[in-house]
Amino acid sequence: MPNLTTMVSVAGAAFLASLVEAVEALTIVLAVGLARGFRPALTGAASALVALAIIVAALGPLLGAVPVRGLRFVIGVLLLMFGLRWLRKAILRAVGILALHDEDAAFQRETRELAEAERPGPSGLDWIAGAAAFKAVLLEGVEVVFIVIAVGAGRGLLGLASAGALLACLVVAGIGAAIHRPLSRVPENGLKFAVGVMLSAFGLFWTGESLGVPWPGGDAAILAFIAWFLAVAFGLVAFLKPRAAGLA
Amino acid sequence: MIRAIASQIAALFVDDGLLAASVLCLVAAIGALTLSGSWSAWVAGLLLTLALPAALAASVLKSARRGTRRG
Repeated sequence: MPNLTTMVSVAGAAFLASLVEAVEALTIVLAVGLARGFRPALTGAASALVALAIIVAALGPLLGAVPVRGLRFVIGVLLLMFGLRWLRKAILRAVGILALHDEDAAFQRETRELAEAERPGPSGLDWIAGAAAFKAVLLEGVEVVFIVIAVGAGRGLLGLASAGALLACLVVAGIGAAIHRPLSRVPENGLKFAVGVMLSAFGLFWTGESLGVPWPGGDAAILAFIAWFLAVAFGLVAFLKPRAAGLA
Repeated sequence: MIRAIASQIAALFVDDGLLAASVLCLVAAIGALTLSGSWSAWVAGLLLTLALPAALAASVLKSARRGTRRG
């Protein structure tokens, strides 16, 4: 039975990571809706959710067939690649070497491109708009599915991770439906920084465990790894920020 | 569109090629030596704990050097 630390870490990582992905998907769906109408936007988004459900239904039974140790190794390595990639970008953005992701700018760009794109023919089906919403929701949704599987499958907490992800998607969809604007005030880089740290810590833990490493404290070692990656990341930001500012 | 989706899914894991290659090589080398019994599992744990953040730091510092040179 996983302890409370693991359960909170799994649900928290799934919630925060899904929040970031849902905000990015919402920006595109809103842009499609406002530029070309909400019918193709919602049709595209709903089609992507159906495609995601099919992917999950196909992958679910496969997960049960893979030996737990092998599953933890593969998931651990993928989590390390995914988490360290997010953390690297978040550090470079925090330092000012990479530009911060701007939801407003992404929204304006997408809206402009869609407004200039070819309009639907007499059939009335706006394929361009539907495909844009479909692609955005599918891509961000695949990331959410991966994160849910990655943080939840190693300890049999897929239900908890799914609940965290679902809650994040519902929160973002609810706010988006209410305000009809991209959620540009969400501190996306801060969230990515936190999620990168958490996913890297989970990746290190699963990878080591699959190799038979007896982590001191069991699952509580995940918290120590979170603190360790956080210290390394803050150290890099503190080291690079004055240098980057001096050269700006 | 399928090709674009596939390439974006691959990009989820690989952004900086050096970082991705470092992670894969480190895990493969540490894993192979651990499973072959060359050292005990706790040494593998220690190496993973030190080497993976080091790979991150190397990738960030390389990108920072390039970025500030350009700036």
